[in-house]
Amino acid sequence: MEEKQQVKTTAIKGTEMARRVRGLVKNIYQSAHEAKATGKKVAYFMVASQYDEIIRAMDIVPLPTENYAGLCAAKRDMDRFLLKAEADGYSQVLCSYTRIGLGFDSLRKELGRIPENAPDGGMPVPDMMLGSSAVCDPRFKWYQAAGRYLEVPTYSIDCLGPPVQADLNEVRDYYIKYMKDQYLGLIAFLEKQTGKKLDPDRLWETIRLSDEAWRLWYEIDRLRVAVPCPMPVEDHFSIMVAGHYYSGTQMAVDFYQGLYDEVKSKVENKTGVVDDEKYRLLYGGGLPPWHTLWIFNYFESFGAVFVIENVYRGYDPVEVPSRVKDPVEYLAWRSFLRFTQRYEEAKAHSGNPTVEKLLGYITDYRIDGVVFHACRSCRAMTVGQVHLKNLLGQYTDIPMMQLVSDMVDLRDYSEAQWKAQIGAFIEALAGRTAK
Amino acid sequence: MTATAQIEELYNHRGKRARELHDSGKKIIGYFCCFVPDEIITALGLVPYRIQGSQSDPIDQADAYLEPMACPFARSCFNLALKGEYAFLDGFVAPHSCDTIERLYHIWHHNKPSPFNHMINVPHMMGPSSTEFYRKELGYFIKRLEQWSGQKLDPGRLKEAVVLYNQRRALLRELYELRKSDPPLVSGTEIIKVLVAGMGIPAAEHIELVKEFIGEVKQRPQPKREKLPRIFIWGNEIDDIAFIQLVEECGARVVMDDLCTGTRFFWEDVPETPNPLDGIADRYLQTHCPRSNVPQTQTREKDLENRYGYIGRAIRDWKVDGAIFYIVRYCDTCELEGPDLREYLNGMKIPVLMIEDDYSTSTIGQLRTRVQAFLEMIG
Repeated sequence: MEEKQQVKTTAIKGTEMARRVRGLVKNIYQSAHEAKATGKKVAYFMVASQYDEIIRAMDIVPLPTENYAGLCAAKRDMDRFLLKAEADGYSQVLCSYTRIGLGFDSLRKELGRIPENAPDGGMPVPDMMLGSSAVCDPRFKWYQAAGRYLEVPTYSIDCLGPPVQADLNEVRDYYIKYMKDQYLGLIAFLEKQTGKKLDPDRLWETIRLSDEAWRLWYEIDRLRVAVPCPMPVEDHFSIMVAGHYYSGTQMAVDFYQGLYDEVKSKVENKTGVVDDEKYRLLYGGGLPPWHTLWIFNYFESFGAVFVIENVYRGYDPVEVPSRVKDPVEYLAWRSFLRFTQRYEEAKAHSGNPTVEKLLGYITDYRIDGVVFHACRSCRAMTVGQVHLKNLLGQYTDIPMMQLVSDMVDLRDYSEAQWKAQIGAFIEALAGRTAK
Repeated sequence: MTATAQIEELYNHRGKRARELHDSGKKIIGYFCCFVPDEIITALGLVPYRIQGSQSDPIDQADAYLEPMACPFARSCFNLALKGEYAFLDGFVAPHSCDTIERLYHIWHHNKPSPFNHMINVPHMMGPSSTEFYRKELGYFIKRLEQWSGQKLDPGRLKEAVVLYNQRRALLRELYELRKSDPPLVSGTEIIKVLVAGMGIPAAEHIELVKEFIGEVKQRPQPKREKLPRIFIWGNEIDDIAFIQLVEECGARVVMDDLCTGTRFFWEDVPETPNPLDGIADRYLQTHCPRSNVPQTQTREKDLENRYGYIGRAIRDWKVDGAIFYIVRYCDTCELEGPDLREYLNGMKIPVLMIEDDYSTSTIGQLRTRVQAFLEMIG
């Protein structure tokens, strides 16, 4: 097969640590292949499902199928998988992460091997698939549907948070109990698949490592309040790999420690992403345009830097009551506390916890404008953006814009349209500054 | 007025009866989907109202609040709310049935709040801990309704409500029995009208109406046998006759369905358990909606049988020749379920036509050619 020339899609990073992430990504897929060769168990898994520490504690190698879809888009090698899924009967409006995953599985089954030149060596056949209802519906339906191509054991868990209006004192106990029951079901399934019992001490250790990594990540983001901004959004979309795909490992902790040191040094030296930082932007929500991450560099060419974002680090550190002595119960508590962050502030103010978070960012990070990214195939992260914009508009008059494309499907993207929109947005920012 | 005429009237003027009840002092509780138990609302002396959209009204106001890549059914419902069509609702309840309905609850609640607003979290997983959780959520729902309405739920009245709704379920099943003959005694178009009519009136009134309607249907002269294809419809929300009528106009008989607005909401009874909430939680969580995850069972073949065996039985019992999937666009769970169900039905030698549509009568006409071609194929 002729080697395709790769189109430049990625962004120029601001930090040295972000440049090292490519190696971490390659290692994900390499580790999965090595695990298969040595008889270790490999599991398809979904990011932010609150179960990472359990998978790590069971020595199962996680294989993130959503990340693989993003990788294919960044490599501009998504069409053959998207088209394959669509030929198999999946709608063009269905989550494009899912379509790439199903298309890849379908092709691999049809060929009897990994599709030629698949990005980063492709994904091996997993030993199991672990879905969840966290974040969106396709995250458990995807693996159920993948049963067409893969006859492997599949298990999914619920991750439910109460609605913001709920009286937390009324619902807390049974939400936490349900989460714990879901984890216990998952553990029983994994013990059956691996033939070994979960070691609670090992689970405590992966929880400790995970919490430490996420604490450091939070501290890094707090450093980004500095002017000029030391780390832009395009770096965030790289460095999240450690927090989401290496959660529960020392590697993640070490990575974020290194990044923390680097960002802190940049703050102390007043080293910004651009020489002349004119506008500080908030990425208000929506999955990133993996096919065109260089667009953030395009913003920077106008002196506009995305200094913080509202995606892929969905929660700040939480404090689980010290009376909780069981690691599974700890995870259940932690999930509940994560899901209900800013509920009390929201009840007392806007009624919406995400609005509270964004208003906090706008103040703390001295934000001049907000940009949302609506993805045509993603309901969970897109539906509600207009509502958020409307609500935010009641509390701030800074310019806001919604760009529309998709997270990986390039057919929904128009460079000319985006550039026209960005141009108008920059003018609005300039107009405000000039007043 | 005949039952047929009354149904026609209720179908054409959907909120009329609920508005009358509201004006006379009754409290109307509007809700989405198949996961909010009517029994609980009724037992508290309130009137449940299943929220519907309008396939014939353009979505002209919702865009300012809700993205166009959201389910057009949900967008249409909210559009009607923005235009004041749901001003008679005293309560608004949404289950967390899917991503869009969950998001819509917050948007609706913020922009068009009712005096009472509530969201019920519904587990996606199925199993004992999920049922236990859902029962707790229903308990919390009852508590909030009690606080708002000032009424205390009487367990005896809840049991009576279970019996009442099971009576309605039995009658609707009886009505569906009349579709087994060849040709069916009642058309798919008529069935939609009967079901939609029932969504906007108290169950006791619907029961009387369905009884009378069944009586009228049974008195119809026995039609001659025919060779028209018998169609099973699968999908999500069909609360307008347009598509079913199109299929029947193309020369087929729609004889059975698995839709949110069809069998999915009424087919199985609520078990009459000592504590009625146990039976209610168990029954509602078993609703055959693609948003619920049936745990995997052994091999692929057995897994599909476990997930769709109930459809297979209906296909055989209603002597179905072909299946049409009518999926309202952007329904991720239906989009993912469709190919699996097609595989299962193809295994039964049942041809399948998969259609994705915009929940709009303006696009229905474009489907005619596809439906005609499908019917010719299964001829």
